[in-house]
Amino acid sequence: MPDKVHPHPDRVTTAALMPALEIAAGEGLLEAASLDDMDEAAILPGALHAAVETLLSFGFTHLLDIGGTDHLPLTPRFEVSYHFAAIDPKRRDPKAPVSRFRLRVFPQDQDPVVPSLTKYWPSANWAEREVYDLFGVRFDGHPDLKRILMPDDWEGHPLRKDYPLRGTRRNFVPGGRVGPIPPTRD
Amino acid sequence: MIDLSAYTDNPDINLSPGAASDTLVLSMGPQHPSTHGVLRVMLKLDGETVVEAEPELGFLHTGIEKQAENLFWQQAVTVVDRADYLAPLSNSLCYVLAAERLLGIDDVPKRAQVLRVIFAELTRIASHLVWLGTHAIDLGAMSNFFYAFEMRERILRIMEFVTGARMHQSWFRIGGVALDVPKGFLALLDEFIAAFPPRLADLRAILEGNVIMMDRLVGVGKIEAADAIAWGLTGPSLRATGVAYDVRKAFPYSGYDEYDFDVPTHDGGDCYSRFLVRVREMHEAWRIIKQARERFPGGPVTIDDRKIVSPPKTEIQHSMEALIHHFKLVSSGFNVPEGHIYSCVESPRGELGMYVTSAGGNKPWRVRWRPPSFYNLQALKRLAQGNLIADVVAIIGSLDPVFGEVDR
Repeated sequence: MPDKVHPHPDRVTTAALMPALEIAAGEGLLEAASLDDMDEAAILPGALHAAVETLLSFGFTHLLDIGGTDHLPLTPRFEVSYHFAAIDPKRRDPKAPVSRFRLRVFPQDQDPVVPSLTKYWPSANWAEREVYDLFGVRFDGHPDLKRILMPDDWEGHPLRKDYPLRGTRRNFVPGGRVGPIPPTRD
Repeated sequence: MIDLSAYTDNPDINLSPGAASDTLVLSMGPQHPSTHGVLRVMLKLDGETVVEAEPELGFLHTGIEKQAENLFWQQAVTVVDRADYLAPLSNSLCYVLAAERLLGIDDVPKRAQVLRVIFAELTRIASHLVWLGTHAIDLGAMSNFFYAFEMRERILRIMEFVTGARMHQSWFRIGGVALDVPKGFLALLDEFIAAFPPRLADLRAILEGNVIMMDRLVGVGKIEAADAIAWGLTGPSLRATGVAYDVRKAFPYSGYDEYDFDVPTHDGGDCYSRFLVRVREMHEAWRIIKQARERFPGGPVTIDDRKIVSPPKTEIQHSMEALIHHFKLVSSGFNVPEGHIYSCVESPRGELGMYVTSAGGNKPWRVRWRPPSFYNLQALKRLAQGNLIADVVAIIGSLDPVFGEVDR
């Protein structure tokens, strides 16, 4: 008996979705794929809002997660991944299929910017702040883009691959110290 | 309105009517006992009513995601465990499933799957018991804490007996579980299965319908289903709005589709509904454990692939080949094919997802968490609005955040 991780979710919605997404994203659509866990599309940041509006019209009401990945030394370097689920507020049958979809957005390497989804989902607020904090990807249109996990005066973005594992060395100075010490590699 | 201007001669203090600002900003935490960890909430108050609540996080940030990128695939199980410290095995289960899927392993032995289910559900009960005890303390009921923790202690004793650790078991491994259960495990489990229902009945008899609980929880922190989905709520917090969404049913893993259990929901959407859903979930978890105990199969607990799972110690002592495999696994781990995958499990707090990327090496390139507490806690902004300051404590308790997971 295999350890079934996820049987194929209902792809009826996503099958109809792909052509609509192609029209909505236009030139911004880089690649579409159907993977084991869910269908996905790779797009440019400019096509994000159009893609998200298409997803919303197909019932993808739940923004599961926004995460970042640094693919250094590959180009494009940064990936911002969005996971969506179509959950009906009137869902009463726990076994009813749930469609899922993933958008992978690839901003440019220098000064990466992605449009914010806070106007569609309030839950995007913290998730985008976290990606900004840990990767330095800015979200255009975010109402309050500031660090969330690291201290406000932190320098650098820790989850970037060129950021050392041990981080910065902060020496204790009685009475406090002004200004950060540059990161040192160990 | 009374004119208080005569009560002070300090020119900086203006007590004349209407002069004082209408709102007060109060910092709650990060050391506040009822924030269940290190959460700071900036509360903007109008009298006792919350106008705005802005949670502040990061006090427990330990860089778990960064650490996981710098360990071998199998080693990373140890740091993954440490995110949600009240339900560590849910974290490792999610990670292990992701890695197995990337490796193309689909033949994890039945015994290992049943053990995974038993321990995941024991973890769920243990986690919910901590929530129940501390939530009740927040609301002024002390004794339940001891009744709940006595039962949790039994679960931790089983964990310790089997895995050697009470908190961070790191017992699920890529390809199965770390070791087979020792003799005496089933007797301990049977003892627990027999002892739990009466204790749960006691706890329910004390708290459910209790007039103080009802006063403090009914109608507090209310949210509608559509709103809850927009705020990214999952788990008991979402099911308390009537949405029957449970990862175990929608995307079954580890053979959950073979167990007979219900997904408790409630339509209220308030703190009391969340309370009811969690309490009923404990009973369902107990039902799953009971079924798993009944079918408890024999056989191996890991896959038979020496490139992934180390050979048994007895073999290493005699076989050169086994020793080489062991040495290779310890010194350089194994490579995982390039790719990315989203794996999810139903943790006690909601949908725990991991978006794992492999670049083909012996370390995960990226392990991105979808921490359920992170999103549930974000909804505090929405839930606390318009409630009284004393209710903020009840709302935080009803969301059951764990800060190891929020801050990672």
